[in-house]
Amino acid sequence: MATTSFTAPKLSSPSLQTLCKNLSLFVSIPKTLSSFSRRHHHRRLQLQQQQQRRLFVVRAESENGSEPLRHYDFDLFTIGAGSGGVRASRFAANFGASVAVCELPFSTISSETTGGVGGTCVLRGCVPKKLMVYASKYSHEFDESNGFGWKYDTEPKHDWGTLMANKNAELQRLTGIYKNILNNAGVTLIEGRGKIVDPHTIDVDGKLYTARHILISVGGRPYIPDIPGSEYAIDSDAALDLPSKPEKVAIVGGGYIALEFAGIFNGLQSKVHVFIRQKKVLRGFDEEIREFVGEQMALRGIKFHTEESPQSIVKSADGSLSLKTNKGTVEGFSHIMFATGRRPNTKNLGLESVGVKMNKNGAIEVDEYSRTTVPSIWAVGDVTDRINLTPVALMEGGALAKTLFQNEPTKPDYRAVPSAVFSQPPIGQVGLTEEQAIKEYGDIDVYTANFRPLKATLSGLPDRVFMKLIVCVKTDKVLGLHMCGEDSAEITQGFAVAIKAGLTKADFDATVGIHPTSAEEFVTMRTPTRKIRQNPESEGKMGYEAKAAAGV
Amino acid sequence: MARKMLVDEEMTQTNQEEAHYDFDLFVIGAGSGGVRAARFSANFGAKVGICELPFHPISSEVIGGVGGTCVIRGCVPKKILVYGAAFGGELEDARNYGWELNEKLDFNWKKLLHKKTDEIIRLNGIYKRLLSNAGVKLFEGEGKIVGPNEVEVTQLDGTKLSYSAKHILIATGSRAHRPAIPGQELGITSDEALSLEDLPKRAVIFGGGYIAVEFASIWRGLGAEVDLFFRRELPLRGFDDEMRAVVARNLEARGINLHPQTNLTELIKTDNGIKVITDHGEELIADIVLFATGRLPNSKRLNLEAVGVELDNTGAVKVDEYSRTNVPSIWAVGDVTNRMNLTPVALMEGTCFAKTVFGGESCKPDYSNIPCAVFSIPPLSLVGLSEEQAIEQANSDVLVFTSTFNPMRNTISGRQEKTVMKLVVDAGTDKVLGASMCGPDAPEIMQGIAVALKCGATKAQFDSTIGIHPSAAEEFVTMRSVSRRITVSGKPKQNL
Repeated sequence: MATTSFTAPKLSSPSLQTLCKNLSLFVSIPKTLSSFSRRHHHRRLQLQQQQQRRLFVVRAESENGSEPLRHYDFDLFTIGAGSGGVRASRFAANFGASVAVCELPFSTISSETTGGVGGTCVLRGCVPKKLMVYASKYSHEFDESNGFGWKYDTEPKHDWGTLMANKNAELQRLTGIYKNILNNAGVTLIEGRGKIVDPHTIDVDGKLYTARHILISVGGRPYIPDIPGSEYAIDSDAALDLPSKPEKVAIVGGGYIALEFAGIFNGLQSKVHVFIRQKKVLRGFDEEIREFVGEQMALRGIKFHTEESPQSIVKSADGSLSLKTNKGTVEGFSHIMFATGRRPNTKNLGLESVGVKMNKNGAIEVDEYSRTTVPSIWAVGDVTDRINLTPVALMEGGALAKTLFQNEPTKPDYRAVPSAVFSQPPIGQVGLTEEQAIKEYGDIDVYTANFRPLKATLSGLPDRVFMKLIVCVKTDKVLGLHMCGEDSAEITQGFAVAIKAGLTKADFDATVGIHPTSAEEFVTMRTPTRKIRQNPESEGKMGYEAKAAAGV
Repeated sequence: MARKMLVDEEMTQTNQEEAHYDFDLFVIGAGSGGVRAARFSANFGAKVGICELPFHPISSEVIGGVGGTCVIRGCVPKKILVYGAAFGGELEDARNYGWELNEKLDFNWKKLLHKKTDEIIRLNGIYKRLLSNAGVKLFEGEGKIVGPNEVEVTQLDGTKLSYSAKHILIATGSRAHRPAIPGQELGITSDEALSLEDLPKRAVIFGGGYIAVEFASIWRGLGAEVDLFFRRELPLRGFDDEMRAVVARNLEARGINLHPQTNLTELIKTDNGIKVITDHGEELIADIVLFATGRLPNSKRLNLEAVGVELDNTGAVKVDEYSRTNVPSIWAVGDVTNRMNLTPVALMEGTCFAKTVFGGESCKPDYSNIPCAVFSIPPLSLVGLSEEQAIEQANSDVLVFTSTFNPMRNTISGRQEKTVMKLVVDAGTDKVLGASMCGPDAPEIMQGIAVALKCGATKAQFDSTIGIHPSAAEEFVTMRSVSRRITVSGKPKQNL
């Protein structure tokens, strides 16, 4: 079946022949990619036909065999101009496709009717968050600088309004840049709410557009559980754009967003309480990292309430909020923030009516090429709830553009995706946690370092750094790398290249350190902290190895 | 005597009686390389002695200290001062983030100096403990070589100790050098610069190497007026030219006065300070004149001539690939051999020495793809080849990828300082030949990149790595378009 489209009798022009030579790759991929040839174009819409670019008219012919040529307004219509959508649209346009993208009007707070070009990352996520992290980190730097001889006649005070104004000016600048990027790539930007009408038609505020392919990249939105008083709670959107400094904040949740905001508010001199359901923060992260980051944050003044689930919020007469949990009530909060997860933005997109399948969380189900159950409809980014990170959405968007418009079916590769938590101190990680590594590989060596960095010896602050390497005994490959401490995010990136390339512990050891840095610890870990063996037979041998290693 | 290694016994088959040596190894100099070699040799079962001069922050013929240059007069105190100085700029940057600070920030040099000294004293103690825990016998005094297997240690009280050793390791490092110009005694070297009683208001630095650039950043960051004189057009000779220009631009933007292609010719003491005269006829008055004009190996007082250990014309001890001198029982590691003068390289050389001599494993230090950092503010870090070296050495075209961007922190702080990153790639093999970066956190970022380069990572492998967002480092894995292509013949191709 896959080959039928290529044996169609119309192969005459030389360019088409080359094209089909390139298309031979298609043969090896799952049937979903070629099956769409016979499914579409049973409708005609009375819309002005835009000029199609030559390449894809040709392509359409070959795909359709003898069926009549269908004209679409666009080769690709993208709903949602966040990281994934913009990347897919730009790259598709660069490959010669005619592309339109629709996005809601700009606002710092997202809703059914507001969004903005740039999406979560630029407007309500990575970027504003990191700017706030920079702002809040200064209070720690003031403390550090004391140890290095700097003195403040009056304690530094923070002016919330200045930060918000400067942050929002930067967001405006960035949304403008993203618009320019789209514009320069020749992508048509349509402001409004896109809804899918049929497999090739999108409605944007009453106006219909047709497209050969539709891409859904509408992202996710914060989710607040429905408990009494939840209307008093704020989510991360609001937390990034508060009109004034919160005096005392409760943060509900133990994920990365909760920790990042805890650090931000703590640094900007709010009192911060974090309520988590589990014993430790950051479920899913390496257990030692979870413990370490919790301790370090507590040392910086954040109060953690573990194994406490929120039950209700009550607003008192003086306007302050109290949070009731399974363990009791904490009063006097100016703000209660829920960082209790994010949900895909799949409501009111018309997905059910065209038959795009979603999972129970509302995430769009896609195959390895980001294709939904409707062959002409694709989805990338948080709306698919795979790995919800900007660079992953970029990868998915880039891969999709290649698949659709460069005759190069490309699967995103989810191995060894590094990530960071911009808590204070931050976390960087790539590869497997110790727990995952044991499960997957059985025998592993674990190298750890827990040290006081040079800066802390002078500042006198209790800051420490924790680093960890997980090595496969059989192959010597480094399976995982984890770090919590200053510069973790920056440090991890280069090691991610090494781990993605499948490098071994011996390769790490062969690398000379950069002195004096924290990062050099990763190439100077000589003795395993522990050796984990599933097979008791290897125990004896292990003891011998441990001795030999310790001797060096 | 400690357990002997097999190889050692094999070596002794050459007619030598080993029992009559006091030590298997005697190390002269307890800096990075010496301590590492001593400890590892002891761990391999060797009986090891080591001698080192008494401790003081400022070195001389008769003063040194366990820990050596790195710990007492180099990397560590330097980095501490860089941390201190970097706050100067960082605190300014805080204002646009909403922080209200006094117009003029107070800085107490004495406090920093005092804490720095405390820290190096602490580290000196740690190093001594490392040695004693490894079972290495430490002697305080000046070591000399009196025979191929004999050392003499002159102790503080003048008494001399004499020991025989099967192997002698020279690890005496290097010392700052002063140019021979009139009034040179008015100037200081990096030793004194790390321990000044008062912070200079007007500092003149002569030299364009990493030490010069680092002190310029330190003093400027702490508020001094700094004039930097160097002989070339750009500082940091030997580094990638493009990055040298970036560093020069950043130094200037941070308020350091650069005087390229200028030599100092004379220093004169005046009531007002030191009068500095240049070969361009300029005259300046400074509180401090720092000579950062290079370092020379500490080989003079070791009595090497007597046993015939060969030196090169800079006074560096000549060694083979295993760090052995022309006298088979005498070896040398670290700066005294003037190979690549970096602490981690001395550590590598010390480790390889111990493995070769006592570990039963021939081990040559590998000098390929050694990363390094210049702790200017902002810092520079690199690994592998510079663009110029790559063009010279590559058999195929060289692709250069660069990224110049405004770090996110600066978008709000308003600081006008771009971060620059660069990858140099062999177009034929796709291997990344060199990586460099000038910008905040560059040394921390480069370490992982160095692992990748050491193992021959390709540009495709960089590209297949997902970024960490938002970070500066992610730029290294998202450089998609070639900035320029240099053909084998060395001419840039058009239209790229």
